[in-house]
Amino acid sequence: MDPVKITIDGKEVVTTKGKTVIQAADDVGIPIPRYCYHPKLSVAGNCRMCMVEIEKMPKLQISCNTQVAEGMAVLTQSPKVLAVRKAVLEFLLINHPVDCPICDQAGECFLQDYYMQHDRQASRFDAGKVHDRKRTIFGPNVVFDGERCIKCTRCVRFCQEITGTDELAVINRGDHSTIALFDDAVLDNPLSANVVDICPVGALTDRDFRFKVRVWYLQKTPSICPGCSTGCNISVEAYQNRIARFKPRINEAVNSHWICDEGRYCFHDLAGGERLTTPMIRQEGGLVPATWEQALQAVDSGLKSAAPLAGILSGRNTNEEAFLFAKLMKKIAPDCALEVFYQERALTEVQKILMSPDRSPNFRGARAMGVRDGGFEPLVQKLLAGGFGGAFIVGEDLVRSAQDPEAMRAALKKLSFLAVQDTRVTESTQIAQVVLPSAHFGEKEGTYTNRKGRLQKLNAALIAPEGALQDSEIFLRLLELAGENNGYATPAQIFAALGREVPDYANIDYEAIGDQGIELGGGGAS
Amino acid sequence: MEKILLRNIGSADSHTLASYTSRGGYKSWQKVVRTMKPEQLIDEIKASGLRGRGGAGFPTGMKWSFVPKDNPKPKYVVCNADESEPGTFKDRLLIEQDPHAIIEGTLIAAYAIQSHTAFIYIRGEMVFGARRLEQAVAEALDAGYIGKNLFGSGYDVDLIVHRGAGAYICGEETGLLSSLEGGRGWPKVKPPFPATHGLFGCPTVVNNVETLAALPWIIERGAAAYAALGTEKSKGTKLFSVSGHIAKPGVYEVEMGYPFKKFLEEDCGGVPGGKKLKGVIPGGGSMPVLLPNEIDKVNLDYESVQAAGSLLGSGGVIVMDETTCMVRAALNLARFFAHETCGQCSPCREGCHWMEKILHRIEYGEGEPGDLDLILNIAGNIAGNTICPFGDAAAWPPGAFIRKFRGEFEAHVAEKRCTVGH
Repeated sequence: MDPVKITIDGKEVVTTKGKTVIQAADDVGIPIPRYCYHPKLSVAGNCRMCMVEIEKMPKLQISCNTQVAEGMAVLTQSPKVLAVRKAVLEFLLINHPVDCPICDQAGECFLQDYYMQHDRQASRFDAGKVHDRKRTIFGPNVVFDGERCIKCTRCVRFCQEITGTDELAVINRGDHSTIALFDDAVLDNPLSANVVDICPVGALTDRDFRFKVRVWYLQKTPSICPGCSTGCNISVEAYQNRIARFKPRINEAVNSHWICDEGRYCFHDLAGGERLTTPMIRQEGGLVPATWEQALQAVDSGLKSAAPLAGILSGRNTNEEAFLFAKLMKKIAPDCALEVFYQERALTEVQKILMSPDRSPNFRGARAMGVRDGGFEPLVQKLLAGGFGGAFIVGEDLVRSAQDPEAMRAALKKLSFLAVQDTRVTESTQIAQVVLPSAHFGEKEGTYTNRKGRLQKLNAALIAPEGALQDSEIFLRLLELAGENNGYATPAQIFAALGREVPDYANIDYEAIGDQGIELGGGGAS
Repeated sequence: MEKILLRNIGSADSHTLASYTSRGGYKSWQKVVRTMKPEQLIDEIKASGLRGRGGAGFPTGMKWSFVPKDNPKPKYVVCNADESEPGTFKDRLLIEQDPHAIIEGTLIAAYAIQSHTAFIYIRGEMVFGARRLEQAVAEALDAGYIGKNLFGSGYDVDLIVHRGAGAYICGEETGLLSSLEGGRGWPKVKPPFPATHGLFGCPTVVNNVETLAALPWIIERGAAAYAALGTEKSKGTKLFSVSGHIAKPGVYEVEMGYPFKKFLEEDCGGVPGGKKLKGVIPGGGSMPVLLPNEIDKVNLDYESVQAAGSLLGSGGVIVMDETTCMVRAALNLARFFAHETCGQCSPCREGCHWMEKILHRIEYGEGEPGDLDLILNIAGNIAGNTICPFGDAAAWPPGAFIRKFRGEFEAHVAEKRCTVGH
């Protein structure tokens, strides 16, 4: 890449040939306001907000479409530039409804933010505002407000260029221009809600998040989507210890700027349900609450008494948890069958842009940790055929996910001992002899390894309900009962330990995994 | 003055191939294909000094030379027949009564850049004109002037007449190309320019009807003959569409450099009914209006009109006498631009309607003291900040009218009514 030297506001910036001024400025953190420009979409150049002054050019230029040239001198704060920003904002605001009090975008709105940064003038407009359709359903996840729209066309370009599904278009002319669905289209492509993320204003908003909570109350935690093994980087945004929404985080190595709709809303299922808040042991009349000591003791003796033994781990368990689980089960029964939950389904071309065919975000990590024994399907078949005496199932409801739920229910009932560890009441917990309450993906810290071998970090966004324990803590306590105490306890310590036993994970500084993750040495698909 | 552009017009059958060839039509086309090389042709047109007649006045030969010769993509020529500039009706005359001159000119332009597919994009409302063009194209095809292996030279060219759907913005070259491609008539950000990335992303030249119609004469008589007419920088002749308060409205062909005042008073018969001239728009609705004393010093060429603070543009001359209310005139034009703004970029989309709303208020007696300066400020915020020149075109008229007739506007605001007798 040919280097090119330019100056921005007098400061020398070394950039590369082919970049535009706005990209060069973004690379070094010099702020230039923009609406229609998005690094992943084609250049539209219609908002006129990114205009800058370039020496030797008489007119201001849009920085999103001006290629850098050696010696170019760019000014982003000159009087002309500051004046045109005020002018553009005034133009955008003359027909914009003052919906802030009822608009979900408030607090993360480009109009609000740029107005405070660059404008702050009273409006001089007193003719009637143009009216348009309000709260128009575009699709299952997206609602449109035509009055708030500033016609930046990011949404139209997203559906043309990223998903190729082309649901949206601009119709009409002049100040009656508006965004509309083509003919009988519905905005329901597998990535549809990304248009909400990229809409700079409150024209496209998320139906799921509508009116839930003001964004400035949200506590935001960087983490990884637990939906599938793509491992899209997300921000888990919570209020009062409940997840309000997922937002994507940028990671060019994994998901770029996007997440799929399934992943975006999966927290409703995975963090929901009737939470288990106490261990339970089955007595004559049914499941009764027990102490942890009682329950763990029951699991220990139960697993030791039933043979052959099967251990099924959820794909949502972390590497640290998988490492401990494998150790535990092998300590109890060296010949036990261990597998991580893994089921595939067919994906459409548009789904394949982001999604993986499974619903096990850490299947690859779990297998690397030793939770691997000839395949999940064969293990399930053996279970259905009555080939096991006992099982420890963590984080999955095999009845719900079975092809034939009744057959699975019958097979589980036939086991002489079944322990189920999960976050909420499921079909499986209703059959178990012992039920252990655990924390879900949003309440734990640890690492996932995605399908392509990228090690990424989950961070706890919520506090688990009182009565539930971390999976890792449960496994450590069971390991103690089984006679093993290695002295590690925190995710970082467990990670260091697994690094000593799993070659691909050796010599990795846990603190250095950061929020972008790192490629593991192995590479390739597993 | 010998007529170039209007030379074939005057008989009832001037649009037919028989009439056109009886006057020497398509001889230039044959000369070009049989005997000239493309570079030669481009040089000849450069030497003639012909400048684009759509409004921008860009040197035609130079525009052709921007098309990269070694580019493997197909090249396109498009005749811009989307004439929509208020007060302009010169192209329409040629389309309806001398379509073959346009066809011949388009073909010559195609040859210059070695294009094998040429389009004539005609304004959707010109139904009759489109029919005339299509008939003429059919005649030319039958006679072997369009098609394959023309005159045994090995050169192929096809010519397609494409009708627009009623939008002024499709007269802007990239708006036209967007429409021709089947999309919304939205202009494209430049760079890249049509010469390298035009129709379907291929090198494209867009020329106005009047520009192309001059080519057959230039090829026949030579560049020097064309350059002998006009001024040093504005060569040849230009068509002017004269309308408004004038004794003899119509389309006139005038040698560049001809004195404006003489043209209006003598050739066009002056303002009728003994009324006094109040203002003239020299180049179509987007161009700043000129006052009578300003016209005295103006000649009809690009440089002279520009020096007077306006532009020659499309040559749409709109004459306004003392009975004209300039507020109403400004409102009329503002309404046009508000209606025609494509809506793509923020300043134009929002600003055009805003200016119209304020002028409307003033015209109907609800003007506020700050309104005039507000309009000037809005116009200043639009001009120069848009994707295409439409923003400038919409911003100049209100600015010019208010600046030159400030007293009248102020009176209209203060007295809440028009102070000019209708």
